Amino acid sequence: MSDHSSERTTRSYTRKEVIRGAAGTGAALGLAPILAACGSSSSGGSSAGGSSGGSGPITIGSFSDPAMVPFRDVFLKKYTQETGNVAHYNETNYDAWYQNSKNDGLQKTGAYDIYVMDDNWVPEFAASGIVQSMDKLGLKVNPDILQKGLEQGYWPPKSGPRLKAFASDTPQLYSLVIIDDVEMLYYNSDYFKSAPKTWDDIYAVAKTTKQPLYGWTARGVAGNPIVQTYLPLLNSYGGNFVNDDWSPGFAGPEGVGALERLFSFIPYMPSGVAAFDTDQETALFLQGHATAMTEYTGTAHGVDDPTVSKVVGKVDFAATPSQEKSGPAIGTFICGIASGAPNPAGAVAFLEWFTSSKVQQEFAGGGSAAVTGSALRDAALSKKYRWLPAIADAVDNSVPKPKTPDEPKMEDLLGTALNQALVQAISQKSGYQQIAQSHLTTAANQITAYLKQQGTYF
Amino acid sequence: MSRRLWARIALYLTLGVILLIAMFPFWWMINTSLKQQADIFGGATLYPHNPTTANYSRLFNTYHFADYLQNSILIVTVSVAVSLVLGTLAAYPLARFHLRFGLNQSALVVALLVRMLPPILLVIPFYIMLGKWGLLNTRMGLILIYSCLNTSFVIWMMQSFLAEIPRDIEEAAMVDGDSRLTALRRVVLPLAAPGLAATAIFSVIATYNDFLLALSLTSTPTAQTVPVGVSTLIGKIQIEYGPMAAAGVVGAVPIVIFALLVQRHFVRGLTLGAVK
Amino acid sequence: MLLPAGIALALVSIYPLYYGVRASFTHYLYGRDLGFDGLTNYRIIWNDTFFRSAMLTTLKYVVCTVSIETVLGLGLALLVSREIKFAGPIRVGLILPMTIAPVVVGVMWRLLYDSGVGVVNPIYEFFGLGPPDLLAHNNTAFAAVVLVDIWEWTPLIFLIILAGLQSLPEEPLEAARVDGAGRLRLFFDHTLPQLRSVLLVAVVLRTIDAVGTFDQIYVLTKGGPGDATRVISIYAYNTAFLFTQFGQAAAMLVCLLVMLMLLMIVAVRLLRRVSA
Repeated sequence: MSDHSSERTTRSYTRKEVIRGAAGTGAALGLAPILAACGSSSSGGSSAGGSSGGSGPITIGSFSDPAMVPFRDVFLKKYTQETGNVAHYNETNYDAWYQNSKNDGLQKTGAYDIYVMDDNWVPEFAASGIVQSMDKLGLKVNPDILQKGLEQGYWPPKSGPRLKAFASDTPQLYSLVIIDDVEMLYYNSDYFKSAPKTWDDIYAVAKTTKQPLYGWTARGVAGNPIVQTYLPLLNSYGGNFVNDDWSPGFAGPEGVGALERLFSFIPYMPSGVAAFDTDQETALFLQGHATAMTEYTGTAHGVDDPTVSKVVGKVDFAATPSQEKSGPAIGTFICGIASGAPNPAGAVAFLEWFTSSKVQQEFAGGGSAAVTGSALRDAALSKKYRWLPAIADAVDNSVPKPKTPDEPKMEDLLGTALNQALVQAISQKSGYQQIAQSHLTTAANQITAYLKQQGTYF
Repeated sequence: MSRRLWARIALYLTLGVILLIAMFPFWWMINTSLKQQADIFGGATLYPHNPTTANYSRLFNTYHFADYLQNSILIVTVSVAVSLVLGTLAAYPLARFHLRFGLNQSALVVALLVRMLPPILLVIPFYIMLGKWGLLNTRMGLILIYSCLNTSFVIWMMQSFLAEIPRDIEEAAMVDGDSRLTALRRVVLPLAAPGLAATAIFSVIATYNDFLLALSLTSTPTAQTVPVGVSTLIGKIQIEYGPMAAAGVVGAVPIVIFALLVQRHFVRGLTLGAVK
Repeated sequence: MLLPAGIALALVSIYPLYYGVRASFTHYLYGRDLGFDGLTNYRIIWNDTFFRSAMLTTLKYVVCTVSIETVLGLGLALLVSREIKFAGPIRVGLILPMTIAPVVVGVMWRLLYDSGVGVVNPIYEFFGLGPPDLLAHNNTAFAAVVLVDIWEWTPLIFLIILAGLQSLPEEPLEAARVDGAGRLRLFFDHTLPQLRSVLLVAVVLRTIDAVGTFDQIYVLTKGGPGDATRVISIYAYNTAFLFTQFGQAAAMLVCLLVMLMLLMIVAVRLLRRVSA
């Protein structure tokens, strides 16, 4: 090695220069934005001006979703045109946004005025003071908004079991629904003479299918996805996620029956369904390979889009199939005002504007799942977008999920058990009742134990 | 002779197969990124039948990828440069002097400890720290964090590189009138350059590819980096495979180019003594 | 000289550690700090079946990936260390997988594995087998995830060992060969012992990183199906950020850290004994 030292000194010159040069450029490059970053505030765009009187810019944050596209691309600009106020918008992916908004609210960093949330964040965000009460801010609610969608934003919830600590509080509005995301039945009219009403109707058609056509497709990934597949079944059989005393309501005959019904579709579902999420389920359906599926409203847009759908004009919508009744789960995209918001009055003004009947009519005019009854049941719009009245019906029939900050944990426990039950049923091909009962009981026990441990329920 | 020939052929064949395995996923990703949405689900093909650049334009128009790229390149360059300076300065006394209280050993252990902490452990404390200093969602904040994290790695690597270099060279320079610092700069560093290069390379790769910290400490395209950008395309409801593949390609290209440019130094640097 | 680096290191090691340990002894309810709680969090997680299975899964994962990667990396290094043409480009091709962000790697393999758009199902169908749906069954999903890790990180081991091989002295090897020793004898009696320290460095580095694996598994399976691929970092992440149980998540990470430190002490002792 030491023989090379002379070599090194001559060649080292260039190397040293390179390193120096790189360091120099790096420093120069670094200096400019450092100065810039020191100058501007650390928040993502809400500048200092106008925190009073409703005027002045607001900053909205959200997670990426096809349903948010018209909001992002059309209506924010409209707001500026109509009122002169600017609304900045940032979005990132779901998990990241959940983390960011929660941290922003807990630490009150004030980077945002409005958080677009998923409905099951409401209990946590409201109870932890991440969003503030809209009643206290004086927000006027549009009576045209469908009740069940609106109720998703109250804390404590107007109906259903409550956390012990909030048992006697008066419900206040902590977030306002902006998109009614609710589960519906999507079906291919090529295979159904009339809108299927019951699970038996679906099964009758499924039995006649031969691959590559499937009679049913679902989201099977453990956790939240498979729970969404299961809830319409559970609710329609008369079961509950939790009963009014927080005891699990899915380990009894209704819950087992509902899961067995799902298993009965196994011969007519793709074998990889236990790893399916919305994208695979939807893709299968839009490629024309499935006769029906339950899904949230967000996917409705794509059915007539020739770049993604091969079944343009053939897809129709109905309430999720019933056994005793129809019981779709309701989601909703729902907006809360950050408790550290720089411009709460501006946020209120924006939300009142967006949920006004006029703007919601225009929102539905683009095919979106508006929140007002007048927009969803408008005759002219319904002709153009056949899913709108189905959404309204679904909302009115919907069954809300348990309202507690621990809901994600409960979905995770139930979802893991459901997924394992599905995997076992697919490989075993028999003994469905026993598989369903054992996994559901396990999940019920785990959830009860967890709730006991939290200490806020019993 | 012919037995040797067969052995050679077998060798190259094996290497070829391995290379194929190494490269095929890249090809598949590029392939998908150039396909149209309907084709992606229509059935697996080895090359796009109706190639389109729509996925890429979506990336840069709708998904802010120009911002992500800019942020990444800037953050990586600055933090690696800073950590190289700080780390080498610290590695030098650790390599040369015998400090009291067994400081040499403990300093190295601490440096290694930093490397060992699982990223998730770091997320919340860093979030609170940056929050207190108003550095959340800023490039400066990320630079600060990455510089500190990389410094430990630099110390660890450079310490052994510097120890390799015989003392007489700097002693000679100091006898000639240089101060220790000048001697370090003029004489020692050039000799340690391959080690510096190897260290820099590993630091660049690790910093550019970091996902969890960037995800947690930033929230908007003003400061988000490319890996975070890639993850924005893995949505909750729908995965847009075309743009996601395109994002993957865009995320990989700068690093691949960088690796190609510096690949000689990888092995060279490691050979010269870091591997102890 | 040491001071700036020292501050940097303290920042990113002492504070997070202190914070993490303190959090593990604190009772958090829905994100609020409710005060000192003793060992409750630890008790809770030790009774949590999912935590125990996550630790087991992580252990399985680390053992499978590191052992296979070491063997493959060693083999590859031996192959490439001979006199072959195109050594440069071959080396580059072989190290590319490790330069890509793990997030992107996850995306790439998702594109390959996915039963809808991937290339795996069609391959099986080509051979007349039923669709494997790799990600939909517990065992195959675990194997699939391990495979991705092997694809991604074998190059690192390969690189480190290659560097080690190239710095081995020639003479003992030549002497043994002249004495008539066969290829295999040569390897086991001469090369391997001398590579031992290099191997250990590679194994230690890889183990540390494997224990904290998050990005690619999260993208591919999110821990599923069931909890077949739910390694400790994913479970801790969900516990902290989805279920808002900071205290329990911190306790999990402290346990992980202890396990890692024990592994490290063993490895360092072995290394000292071997290279002395």
